[in-house]
Amino acid sequence: MVEGKKSINFLKGMLCLLPAIVLLGIFTFYPIVNTFLMSFKEGYNYLITNEKNFESWGFGNYVKLFSEGNNFPKYLINTMVIVFVSVPVSITLSLLIAVALNSIKPLQRFLQTIFFLPYVTNTIAIGMVFSVMFESHQGLMNTLITSLGGSSINWLGGNTQAVLIGEGIFTHPFFNAQWFTSMIVLLAYIVWNSLPFKVLILLSSLQSIDKQYYQAAQIDGTTKARTFMRITVPLLSPQIFYLLITSFIGAFKEYTSVVAIFGDNAQSVGQKNNMATVVWYIYQKTKEQSLSGYPQTSLAAAGAVILFIIIMIFTAINSYVSKKKVHY
Amino acid sequence: MDIRLVNLTRIFADKNSEVRAVDNLDITIPSGKLIGLLGPSGCGKSTTLYMIAGLLEPSSGQIFFGDEDVTTLSPEKRGIGLVFQNYALYPHMTVKQNIMFPLQNMKLPKAEILQRTVKYAKLVGIEELLNRKPKQLSGGQQQRVAIARALVKEPRVLLLDEPLSNLDARLRLQTREEIKRIQRETGITTVFVTHDQEEAMSISDEIVVMKLGVEQQRGNPQEVYDQPVNQFVAKFLGTPPINIFSGKIQNGDLYVGEEKIGTSTLEDQEVTIGIRPEGFEIDPDAQMTVVVKQVEYIGRDKSIVATNPASEKENFRIIIDANVEVKEGETVKVAVKPNKCFVFDKLTEKRVQ
Amino acid sequence: MWILILCLILVVIITKIKENHHNIERCVDGKNFYETVDETIKREKSQKVIRYVISYSFLIFFALFMLLPFYWMIITSLKTEAEISLLRPTFFPKEFAWENYKYVLSAKYQWESSGKIGSFDDFQARFDLWRYMYNTLVVGVISTIGTLVTTVMAAFAFSRIKFPGREFLFTLFLATMMVPGEMMVITNYITVTKTAKDIFGITGIDSYWAMIVPFLISVYYIYLLRQNFRQIPNELYYAAKVDGTSDLKYLIKIMVPIAMPTLITITILKLMGSWNAYVWPMMITRSADKRLITTGLRLGFSDSEGRSVQGRQMAAAAVVTAPLLIMFVLLRKYIMRGVSRSGIKG
Repeated sequence: MVEGKKSINFLKGMLCLLPAIVLLGIFTFYPIVNTFLMSFKEGYNYLITNEKNFESWGFGNYVKLFSEGNNFPKYLINTMVIVFVSVPVSITLSLLIAVALNSIKPLQRFLQTIFFLPYVTNTIAIGMVFSVMFESHQGLMNTLITSLGGSSINWLGGNTQAVLIGEGIFTHPFFNAQWFTSMIVLLAYIVWNSLPFKVLILLSSLQSIDKQYYQAAQIDGTTKARTFMRITVPLLSPQIFYLLITSFIGAFKEYTSVVAIFGDNAQSVGQKNNMATVVWYIYQKTKEQSLSGYPQTSLAAAGAVILFIIIMIFTAINSYVSKKKVHY
Repeated sequence: MDIRLVNLTRIFADKNSEVRAVDNLDITIPSGKLIGLLGPSGCGKSTTLYMIAGLLEPSSGQIFFGDEDVTTLSPEKRGIGLVFQNYALYPHMTVKQNIMFPLQNMKLPKAEILQRTVKYAKLVGIEELLNRKPKQLSGGQQQRVAIARALVKEPRVLLLDEPLSNLDARLRLQTREEIKRIQRETGITTVFVTHDQEEAMSISDEIVVMKLGVEQQRGNPQEVYDQPVNQFVAKFLGTPPINIFSGKIQNGDLYVGEEKIGTSTLEDQEVTIGIRPEGFEIDPDAQMTVVVKQVEYIGRDKSIVATNPASEKENFRIIIDANVEVKEGETVKVAVKPNKCFVFDKLTEKRVQ
Repeated sequence: MWILILCLILVVIITKIKENHHNIERCVDGKNFYETVDETIKREKSQKVIRYVISYSFLIFFALFMLLPFYWMIITSLKTEAEISLLRPTFFPKEFAWENYKYVLSAKYQWESSGKIGSFDDFQARFDLWRYMYNTLVVGVISTIGTLVTTVMAAFAFSRIKFPGREFLFTLFLATMMVPGEMMVITNYITVTKTAKDIFGITGIDSYWAMIVPFLISVYYIYLLRQNFRQIPNELYYAAKVDGTSDLKYLIKIMVPIAMPTLITITILKLMGSWNAYVWPMMITRSADKRLITTGLRLGFSDSEGRSVQGRQMAAAAVVTAPLLIMFVLLRKYIMRGVSRSGIKG
């Protein structure tokens, strides 16, 4: 610690922190407050300077988000589907992969590298590859399926000859069969993209578990399944919990994967924004102006505040559960 | 039930080299006894223990529990309890859950599980701690939980890996008595591994001294101490360690350097002589001369750091009664007690007298 | 996806069956050992083999799933347009066509292959790789250097200077990590496009500064480095003081070299971040000249064009992916360290 006079230290400290405080002040602290306030400004137009540029304070923007004709609730549902499917699937899968990797010897390092590879890639680039692979005419996936005797599936829309799975089940005009098949592709990509990090974290914590716990369990005649459930999972619970929180947050903010596969409008061919998420909506409304040239930033702000609140609630629930279940 | 190890060998091989961690070990561990496997680190004692447990497979040789060949039987089928060096208590379970865990694996009725858990918790004296987590226990308490967890299955054999090494000096003394008591009360055949000779000698019914995978000597602790078969065993047992001198036998007399200390029936040859620190007596009529460099008072005894040209090390140690007068810097004559003095072959290091 | 789920179910079923099998065996005599030792050994051996087979086939299946996109990207990029438009795609190119790479690597070639309409200077390239790379490097390098400076200064203040309000300020900094970035993006968009114009008369649209300045600071990196600085023992500082070293000199000569691995990790993650940056550059660029590599990739190829550009699209994706993979191979140690500590991508 630098000892010395308090006032001098204060100056020194502030001097060192000056760039950080200025930058964070402008680009982090101010925006948090401003966006929050903005979400309550009705009829707000930031393009107008020097006069009152909004009509009144109120919940108008929030009401608008959930009013008839606004697709925000649908995007919210899309987001929830992503969260509640991709997170459990990817965590379960990565746990199984990590455990399997940990149990083998030959090829372990080689396979480990393969499982880490997707981590360092560009989300947009590989997303484009996915859209090529799942092409609805004769992409790789459809070729694999037809060569196994199935019929081509209309994954990303547009092809009237390929079959749509889920027809008859998904009859809603928005959540239709096309939505369903496109969502499968999106989820596959999100899982693919999020596996490496999870496998890495879980594998390295698995490797740091004392072998003697397993030897002790073996001597006591514990079955493999029971060892996994009663020893491995509880000992990994801090990491699993950490991954749960971070991937829940990540999944709520899913955006880049969507535009990577479905383009800037987040839609399968012939549909309208059917893959859009909450964050997609926020960005769209930030840039977009209404027909009358009015900026939509207040709607974006309201969406962002809702996202923030949802994430907070989730983190709180997770923490509450973890206090009871997680062993530290 | 006794345990027999027959020609037990374990080889660890990597790309370039091969280590015979355990080499042709032949031991019978009598039923109901407490046996200590003793040796410096790397002598194969833990490997032996793990092979008895079934966690390691022998490269060759056999292991018998009674008449049953268990060599390739998996650990859980052997009916053993193992206490690990750092206890391996599951950190996320309470003491009670830890002890119950093996019984739940055996699908015993609930009532019996509880009854046995309490019984063994009482036996090791931790019944008040049942609802704590391992982290909230002291080292000694964790040790007892580990023993309870090993015993609760009522195994045929109890194995302990360096049971006292993670405890502080005071707890060590207390715990080793405890282990002995528990073993007596249950009458279970027990094998434990240690590098601490004092620990091994104080609680074992029998010790096995090992070096580089080979058994050196086996017997009850006092016998091994008094009659070491070779220089290694003599050096390994006893604190402070035995003093080694170069010497010779000439015309039936035994010499340290050129100073006569006793007699021998062997023919003339160069030898190595080991004398325990407590094997000296100050005696003006004796021949062996030592220079006193330093005198330490250690309670009822006096420890002397002395020099003699024939000594293997620069200094060696003599322990004598506290009321014998010796001054630092003084040169004194010492006599050697024959039963504390061992003569080893210079080359083979085997004891010849 | 279906295969994925099926596989999962399969694994669960197998473990369940094995468990049951075990239970039955135990129930037969209530306690233990009803088989002969030989039988037990035999059964265990076969169980072990089964377990290995399951483990390996499971792992290899998913390893293929991981590799498949890379494979498909590379082979598609090497196919001719004719081969791509075959009804049944081939799993390996009949002949290697380097045309796609020629196309994405050279704007001139794009101009030539589009029929040389107008002069080259006026030509709007579909994917101007070198231009985008230059933009990305300018933005990436400047924001990385800036971030390193602000991070080192802030971490030093938070770890070595004792002043009132320090802990409060640090907690305040950390608290911002809880707030989703989207909250900031909205206002920052207004700030750089409107407020900056009002105050300084400059707009952030199509400017380098707007892509750099908001990213000159990272609370997370400050946190990482502060942890690292705090591990440096105080004695080192006192020793330096006794020798008459100034605070600044101490920071540069002693703390920075000791924390070098962390600084390298920050540099790599930051550069990777610029390479992969998409949302913000997308928002504030209008002209194709100012695109960064990732936005250039997305905007250069839209999916609605169908197969005709697939080969070029995949070649472009490969070209964008390759530097990352090379970086990963060379700097694996630092990347893994940063990743396992953080969880922040790029």
